[in-house]
Amino acid sequence: MLDPKLLEILVCPVSKAPLEYQPEQQELVCRASGLAYPIRDDIPVMLESEARSLSLEERER
Amino acid sequence: MTDKTNAESGETTHFGFETVNKNQKESLVRGVFDSVASRYDVMNDLMSAGIHRLWKRFTIELSAVRPGQTVLDIAGGTGDLAAKFSHLVGDDGQVLLADINDSMLKVGRDRLLDSGAVGNLHMVQCDAQMLPFPDASIDCITIAFGLRNVTDKDMALRSMERILKPGGRLLVLEFSKPVNPVLEKIYDTYSFRILPMMGQLIANDADSYRYLAESIRKHPDQETLLGMMEDAGLVNCEYHNMTGGIVAVHRGIKA
Repeated sequence: MLDPKLLEILVCPVSKAPLEYQPEQQELVCRASGLAYPIRDDIPVMLESEARSLSLEERER
Repeated sequence: MTDKTNAESGETTHFGFETVNKNQKESLVRGVFDSVASRYDVMNDLMSAGIHRLWKRFTIELSAVRPGQTVLDIAGGTGDLAAKFSHLVGDDGQVLLADINDSMLKVGRDRLLDSGAVGNLHMVQCDAQMLPFPDASIDCITIAFGLRNVTDKDMALRSMERILKPGGRLLVLEFSKPVNPVLEKIYDTYSFRILPMMGQLIANDADSYRYLAESIRKHPDQETLLGMMEDAGLVNCEYHNMTGGIVAVHRGIKA
């Protein structure tokens, strides 16, 4: 479970836009950059090199 | 310790005394810290004869952190500074412990759990050059013995300046250049002969500790780093030498 206080202060390192928390996937999603950052062992991994690109379908949602 | 022969054309940087491709440095440095993470604290104590605790204490005094503030400790690895800040900011404050290396963060988390400082403390794996925090969101940033491992230091300093609140402080604690030539000679012998030997004996890893010694010599000296902080937009920049300039703490303020 990601602490809401932490979520509040995190932004995408690429776009600097706020992130959406996806608890099932354990990811932090940025619509602006189209990247999803993994949360591993409760630690958000805010590295562009570790992020997953959102699929077209995910982007349209 | 790692294959560095494929440093092709493109921008280069230093990895200790070797010249490597810029995009290789990050993974080479990661190798060093993956390798030393579990024994990092014990080695710091031995290498500095415990003096690193005094350097860190002075850095905390200079930080002037108060209850309710938000503090970011970059390259905070095993969490010494973060544990102190966690007490200083209290329940209304927040401490962010950031490191690019997940092995170091995990060692830090275990230690912090043991010390009981957790409620207001969060860990983030991130790159000092591309910090994942909003503009003007942080009261104080510390980076202790971390800046010299960052590939593009100017980019990192600009990224730190961006996220500081106006009046916020950046503190850089780092090895620097001894002010006295005699001390410099002794220090050279120590770090190039004795330190890799200690690394071999205690952590079974002479190469990583040789990298540490070399990276210290390649790091900008006091005045150069001061200029870099000013170029990044920080004001009222100053530094304090400790232990004869073996270590210096630089402080700059966000305008």
